[in-house]
Amino acid sequence: MNDTPASDAAVSAVEATAQTFDRGDVGWIAVAVVTGTLGLWLLLPPSGAKRRLSGMVLMIAALAVLGAARLIPVGDWGYDAMYAVLSGLTVVAAVSTVTFRNPVYCAIWFALTLLGIAGLFLIDGAQFLGVAIVVVYAGAILVMFLFVLMLANPSGRAAYDRLSWEPWIAAPVGVLLVAIVTLTYHQAFDTGDTAPLPSASTEALADGVLANQHVARLGNQLFGRYLVDVEVAGVLLLVALVAASAIVAAAPGEPNNSKRAARGERP
Amino acid sequence: MNELALLQNYLTIGSLLFGFGLVGFLCRRNMIVMFLSAEMMLLGVSISLVGWGRFHNDFGGQVLTIFVLAVAACEAAVALAVVLVLYRRSGSLDVVLWQRLRESSLPDYVDEELPEEVTPTPTWPQLPPAGVRPEITPQEERERAHV
Repeated sequence: MNDTPASDAAVSAVEATAQTFDRGDVGWIAVAVVTGTLGLWLLLPPSGAKRRLSGMVLMIAALAVLGAARLIPVGDWGYDAMYAVLSGLTVVAAVSTVTFRNPVYCAIWFALTLLGIAGLFLIDGAQFLGVAIVVVYAGAILVMFLFVLMLANPSGRAAYDRLSWEPWIAAPVGVLLVAIVTLTYHQAFDTGDTAPLPSASTEALADGVLANQHVARLGNQLFGRYLVDVEVAGVLLLVALVAASAIVAAAPGEPNNSKRAARGERP
Repeated sequence: MNELALLQNYLTIGSLLFGFGLVGFLCRRNMIVMFLSAEMMLLGVSISLVGWGRFHNDFGGQVLTIFVLAVAACEAAVALAVVLVLYRRSGSLDVVLWQRLRESSLPDYVDEELPEEVTPTPTWPQLPPAGVRPEITPQEERERAHV
């Protein structure tokens, strides 16, 4: 009965699932939660050099435990190496974005996070998104820089940069959220001896998401199946544009440009 | 390639980004950093969408991520406009200054003691005296001390 290719494939898929889920139990996740909470709390401002150092050590330990429990090699050496480098860069830059007290550094680390995410998109077969995210967010980061330089205290000496709002509550909340999400999908994917979740075969992928002419296919979907949504997104952008200019132009408590013009003054 | 492992790896990194963004949004007080944290939460969701799209061999995940980008752009426009207006009115990017917008029954948030700031005192090179000492006024002396 097992001679047919289809059931062979099913058996090998069950074996692959069993291999995928033979490690990473709740205990290690609990260890990662405790270490990560402590590390994040130590990293967040107000933090001196000693606090930052111990926070960094704890955070790296927590991420290493989580990675050992949850990250699974996909069976391609080059791919795994690329994924390890890019995900490490992304996560380290994300933690730094949140915890650095100088807003200029926050913006720079956020740009690094974006580069890591763009790389992750590229190796996951979303080439267009990998490029688009860099292009779109490059402008956003530039505007951030302008805002920080114009408005903020760019050296991070301001009191509100050196204090954070109840970090002993926020850090556990974020870390527990990550733990709950990882545990949930781990349990959902672990189908045991029954058939695993149906994933696309390599041939189907080569003819689908990973096919050549990626942008053409993506555009075909975007302007075919999702055409109405594109229109809605366009309306949303227009509304946001009008709203932003309305908010800035007619802020209450501020001498309004039109009132000034009515009084004959220069804006 | 083990597609299930691939999906799991992408979900892990997506949840991590979302969690860190959440922490930053909850406890940072600089409005610009809060905005960056909100963007990071959107990016975490985008990563899981792309992972699911590949798992199901469907372009829907990537298309939805494009829409997430559009919504992020709208959010950036409106949020930065609000930040600008709030800065004009309070003269600071501190979000605690706007805590009276919450329920009136809640007690006010009072700053803890600020950790002492170490301001580095600049050290200037001392040049050895040479030649005839010029006549200088005390005021000039004060100003030259830092040149």
